[in-house]
Amino acid sequence: MKVFVDDRAVEVPAGTSAMDALFEAGRDVPYFCSLPYLSPIGACRMCLVEAGSPRRGQDGQWILDDQGQPKIFWLPKPMASCTLAASEGMVIRTQTDAVRKAQAGMVEFTLLNHPLDCPTCDKGGACELQDRSYEYGYGASRFVFDRRHADKHYPLSDLVVLDQERCIHCKRCVRYFEEIPGQEMIDFIERGVHTFIDGYEGGLPSAFSGNIVDLCPVGALLDNVARFRGRNWEYDHTATICTGCSVGCSVTVDARNGRVERIVGRDHPAVNERWICDAGRFSHALEEEGRLTTPLLRRGGELVPASFDEVLAYLTSELVDVPPAQIGLYSSSDITLEEGIALEATAQVLGSGHVDHLPRFSQLPALPRPTLHQLAQASAVVIAGADLGAEAPVAELRIQEMLRGAAPPPQFRHGTAIADLKLTERMERHPERLAIFSSAPTSLDRSADLVVRGDPQAALSAIAAALEGNAQAASPYLSAAELLRRPGATLVVGSELQAAGGLRLAEKVARSSGAALLALPADSNALGLAYLRLVPGEGGAAYGEAILPVALVSRCRRLPAQWPRLLIVHDTTLSALAARADVVLPAVSGLEKQGTLVNLEGRLQALRPAASEVGEATDLIPALGLLLQALGLRSPVRGLISAQRALAQRFGARVQSLPPEGALLDLGEPFLAETHLQHQPEVGAWAAAHLAAARARAAANRALEVAK
Amino acid sequence: MRYFDDKPELVAAILAKYPPQGRRSSLMPLLREVQTALHYVPAEQIEEIAEIVGVTATEVRAVMSFYSTYSTVPQGKYHLQVCATLSCALAGSDELWDDLCETLGISPGEVTPDGLFSVQKVECLGSCGTAPLVQVGELGYHERLSRQDLHALLDALRRGEYPGPHSPLPVFVHSGQQEDAAGARHGAELKPLGENL
Ligand code: SF4
Ligand code: SF4
Ligand code: FES
Ligand code: FES
Repeated sequence: MKVFVDDRAVEVPAGTSAMDALFEAGRDVPYFCSLPYLSPIGACRMCLVEAGSPRRGQDGQWILDDQGQPKIFWLPKPMASCTLAASEGMVIRTQTDAVRKAQAGMVEFTLLNHPLDCPTCDKGGACELQDRSYEYGYGASRFVFDRRHADKHYPLSDLVVLDQERCIHCKRCVRYFEEIPGQEMIDFIERGVHTFIDGYEGGLPSAFSGNIVDLCPVGALLDNVARFRGRNWEYDHTATICTGCSVGCSVTVDARNGRVERIVGRDHPAVNERWICDAGRFSHALEEEGRLTTPLLRRGGELVPASFDEVLAYLTSELVDVPPAQIGLYSSSDITLEEGIALEATAQVLGSGHVDHLPRFSQLPALPRPTLHQLAQASAVVIAGADLGAEAPVAELRIQEMLRGAAPPPQFRHGTAIADLKLTERMERHPERLAIFSSAPTSLDRSADLVVRGDPQAALSAIAAALEGNAQAASPYLSAAELLRRPGATLVVGSELQAAGGLRLAEKVARSSGAALLALPADSNALGLAYLRLVPGEGGAAYGEAILPVALVSRCRRLPAQWPRLLIVHDTTLSALAARADVVLPAVSGLEKQGTLVNLEGRLQALRPAASEVGEATDLIPALGLLLQALGLRSPVRGLISAQRALAQRFGARVQSLPPEGALLDLGEPFLAETHLQHQPEVGAWAAAHLAAARARAAANRALEVAK
Repeated sequence: MRYFDDKPELVAAILAKYPPQGRRSSLMPLLREVQTALHYVPAEQIEEIAEIVGVTATEVRAVMSFYSTYSTVPQGKYHLQVCATLSCALAGSDELWDDLCETLGISPGEVTPDGLFSVQKVECLGSCGTAPLVQVGELGYHERLSRQDLHALLDALRRGEYPGPHSPLPVFVHSGQQEDAAGARHGAELKPLGENL
């Protein structure tokens, strides 16, 4: 469909909004209420343009003007381009005096009751209203009366605070809750200039509430944890990946004076769109509590700060008689591929088979993995033994997307459609496309027609039987089997099923029904680490399985069943495990390191370190180097560069130059081994701890505010 | 017992007016029902309506707060709304309002002890030509209301007699410029300046 924008002609698919057509043409209009992934509603009236289209006469031919050109029938008034569908031959004007005047008038109108307290506003410097007023406004107001006064510190929840005076009633936050997580939380109360946002269900009981802070075009909705902690231009922004779970959401980490103050969502159309979960957003408050910045050495029964030289001297003397092959190496599964390959190399240099990473599962599916995009477009989803809210929160949003049939949002040169006319408020959801089998309640239960409590393995066996035609009539298993048989269906399995060894059964069900199989990895890089030799080798012991003379354990929170005689712990804080160690090496957190992670789709994504002060803390590679040095050994992987080189050799890909959207690569054959350690999905537990820490910091912020 | 517990037919009749996908539309008649019966919509009924319709209480509040006809605080049997916009203000609505509040001994948000009256200032009621005016609940307009008229109205309401709406023809500025259905001309005589007052 050809559309003419000012002097430019542009081809857009049918169904495109005038707004996206004009952006595609390289033109630009201001907007407050539209937002990619949300329905366009034409609430703010900022995006006004002049538009007209040719018409066909009764003969089906274009009606022509005096020059013999299709005659343009202009719409009598400026139109909101976000809710106007572009049509064949439409002419859009974005640069005329009338358009400029209309837009400037709207800026003036929007600013009528705006407090203009930019100097004390947390959004200042990154505010859509500031930018649009500057760019499109008159620069002056004729409003001489008192502005509206309302509550400036209205807490919507512990974590999100509303400044009612600043709200410009764009309705993004209201629409977000209904459309994205599918939980109606807040609405407009009152009318006209008195309108404010509120909810009467108490707090914002959603695991995705923080996103409204990112999408508010003004400083009305604020992150209570980051509030008053810095101005936008003072922050060092780092575009990186959340390491909370295997979704691997794109985030921007903002640090000021060496301290991480806030985390905001970043658009990745294929992974998290622009949303992140609250656990990921507010994780920094906890990450920073009780951080270790120097090594600790046990002296006279106490752990005391020491230098790396002292640690080296200590280890050198302690390890004299220890056979290297008896040294254990264990790490959590959220380390980067770089750290992982260094760990693998170290184990090889030591000749030790006592190596493992946890949490992990014993098996990986041998079927191709669906992407999150495919999940969002699935015709039906059956979940067995997974609580997405605890294991992969943002994947839950992609399932909500599939329940609305909203995916995929059209992509243009300017990115995701800003005003996708397919989306409307209160779109019909299809709970009949979702079935859940798990023994405990899950966060998605509310969205599914078919929810069966019980052992998911038994359920999968019954579904397998139903697929083979051995089902009694009309059982939930038969219904699930029918869902899975739909072309484009997906089976999602999580920790409850995989920890119990049910993956082969899931594969069988997927194979016989033709459904795709998404097995949620146990941790943020558990999938990537499976392609490195990081499982117990010949005669090697799993974590805590044997009493070893020495073990180095990196950031495992689980206590081993059998303790090594000499324990070296590499961790961010003095965890229960670290408190019993002989040597503690300070570690950086996921926000602070560089490397590569593999998410649940198998997408390699780059992790970049936030500009935060970490003292002497390091990632795992130098910690391994120290151990080897004490033994007088040398590993071929001694730093990031050599790790990347080793990864390039192994996987044939340069991980240091991944494209911004990451890369879906074939990593070859995984290294698998049985594990007896039951894995608990960590995000759920960690989410509670993170949110508690975030609330504490928010409370401290409020106290600060009262003191002022 | 909640309000609709013993009125299943009423609820069914209201819900039946709308197609299933338009179930949310029944919010308005349900709110109307409670407002008329109780003279306000208590928080408990907000929850109740939300449950009946299958929406959140927040949404019920959102709809309800948009319309000034619903109240979250108790109102008297006769809710007296005094227009305070420009034409009425010029015609003495401020004095009328003060007199009303003083006579009844209440301010907005309060109800007289006998439960009969509550008062509210409202914006233009669209009858500027017959300013000042008071609207009695949903019963009717009382236009070109003098203080005596107001007291007479209050007395009648206290006796339980609603005299019916009072809508005199407006005073026209120029004579003969308005005509009624029968073609007869109406309007005040144009007298020398000042004599009209
Ligand atoms: S609070 Fe922010 S996002 Fe919500 S309506 Fe107001 S301006 Fe829009
Ligand atoms: S914890 Fe998982 S879902 Fe939440 S923001 Fe981080 S990667 Fe995304
Ligand atoms: S009216 Fe708000 S973006 Fe179009
Ligand atoms: S000003 Fe009172 S009715 Fe219009």
